Amino acid sequence: MIYLYDEPRCEALSARRIADYLRDKLGAPVELREDVFAHWWSLGTATDDDAAQLAERIARAKVRNPAGGLSQAHLLDGETEFELRRLRSTEVRAFGYLYDGPKLAAAYSDLIVPAEAADLHIVFTNQLVGTWDPGDRRYHARTIVCSYPVLISTTGLVEAPARPREYYLLRQQYASLGMSDAAEIDLGPQMAECCLFHDDPKLTEVAKGYGLQAAFYYLAGGPFCSDPGCRLFNAHWQTEMLYAQLKSPYELCPAHESALAALREQACTAD
Amino acid sequence: MPMFQPVDEKDVTRAIVGAFLRQFEEYAESDVIIVGGGPSGLIAGRDLAAAGKKVLIVERNNYIGGGFWIGGYLMNKVTLRAPADELLRELGIPYEEAKPGLLVADGPHACSKLIAAACDAGVKFANMTIFDDVVLREGNRVAGAVVNWTPVTALPREITCVDPIALESRLVIDATGHDACVVKKMEERGLIKTVGFGGMWVERSEDLLVEHTGKVLPGLIVCGMAVSTVYGLPRMGPTFGGMLLSGQRAAKAAIEELEAAPSGPASVR
Repeated sequence: MIYLYDEPRCEALSARRIADYLRDKLGAPVELREDVFAHWWSLGTATDDDAAQLAERIARAKVRNPAGGLSQAHLLDGETEFELRRLRSTEVRAFGYLYDGPKLAAAYSDLIVPAEAADLHIVFTNQLVGTWDPGDRRYHARTIVCSYPVLISTTGLVEAPARPREYYLLRQQYASLGMSDAAEIDLGPQMAECCLFHDDPKLTEVAKGYGLQAAFYYLAGGPFCSDPGCRLFNAHWQTEMLYAQLKSPYELCPAHESALAALREQACTAD
Repeated sequence: MPMFQPVDEKDVTRAIVGAFLRQFEEYAESDVIIVGGGPSGLIAGRDLAAAGKKVLIVERNNYIGGGFWIGGYLMNKVTLRAPADELLRELGIPYEEAKPGLLVADGPHACSKLIAAACDAGVKFANMTIFDDVVLREGNRVAGAVVNWTPVTALPREITCVDPIALESRLVIDATGHDACVVKKMEERGLIKTVGFGGMWVERSEDLLVEHTGKVLPGLIVCGMAVSTVYGLPRMGPTFGGMLLSGQRAAKAAIEELEAAPSGPASVR
């Protein structure tokens, strides 16, 4: 069973279309749920203490220094209160802080009931998540964190893969004139063809591929592919991501196409 | 026939001194002291005074308004992003839409209107007044501000030592910008540890700043760029929508605190 948790804070995301896509591709049952916190509250077992503890765990997953690792010290009351407001209401939509992906997933794993522990849970979130790379000793923002549950960041889809170099050069020029606001508003239309932006109508179609990556991670042990035209390609640039998810002449490479067929057959047999 | 009413010099002096002292004495205690007379402090003050609270804004400069007079590169146009346009219309500040959602207003006009709105609502000001320290009560609750004349800071200590005075309040709002002066005083005492290192993102910082505005310690609320310093949020450019909305959020938090707690020594107007 696959459980998909929506992220209503990202208005461009249609989790329903992603659920339908995965159901069709995998031949497996996919249940679409509301926001992961709203679902947790709906179970009727969460107490205010539980919420406070969860908020604190989430706050502690924040990355204070992307170049310096996770800091556990000096959690401010206001940080926990922000997370508490966030998990109580989808009206709290602000994003822009980086969270340690595995730590955040560990906090969310407490929300999964034991009866569903063996199933695949895919949580869409507008929080930006990252992972620590001991090689270059810094955090890297990610589109997907294959953990338990799997986290797919709608913000990560926009911010994690790098934009073309020209974008950063133009933004620097705007910033030197003190016009950072104009940079965000103006560069979108210019870069629409080669980048994903927040509230981009292309976002759901792109996110479908990451849903498939989550499924392959769970069902086949590995989410990624080295074929740039395959939906499972681990894109590091926006142009690569858009090619793999939107422009490639095929959805999956031959190897993953046949793996998918095998998974579909397995799902049918299980039924 | 002279144009102006004849008065003596002593009448002028007594008028100034009398009016000043009457107000200063009245505001030795208040509901809220806002430290910092920039855009977030001004809008917080306006909203609080409009809700019937007794508000004093302490500003170290002679002029009120902080950085709201000019935008980037000393150009006197200020930019704001929607939904701050609602506030601009409410304040009667004319603006143009440079692009959908990006508004431009004259700095002098916008700042003047904001100051006037605060004054019209009943906010009182102690300008040329520098914040020196906090007043603390049981449980390290912030209960006022210690202040002095700003020029005192220019005096060499070898010549004189000029003591500050204390003003009491039920709440203090730190609207001092990046310096987060009030919060830093609490940090000196080991009562809080600010994060101090920003996240990654200029464009998203306004949203985060507004969402993190609120109570940071008993008796202390933080708004404006001071929020960024406290929580290590990303710095932003010369954009003021977040400042105004943060000030409004701070006022709301302050009203909730004041109405939840039993009445303190300060009277509510």
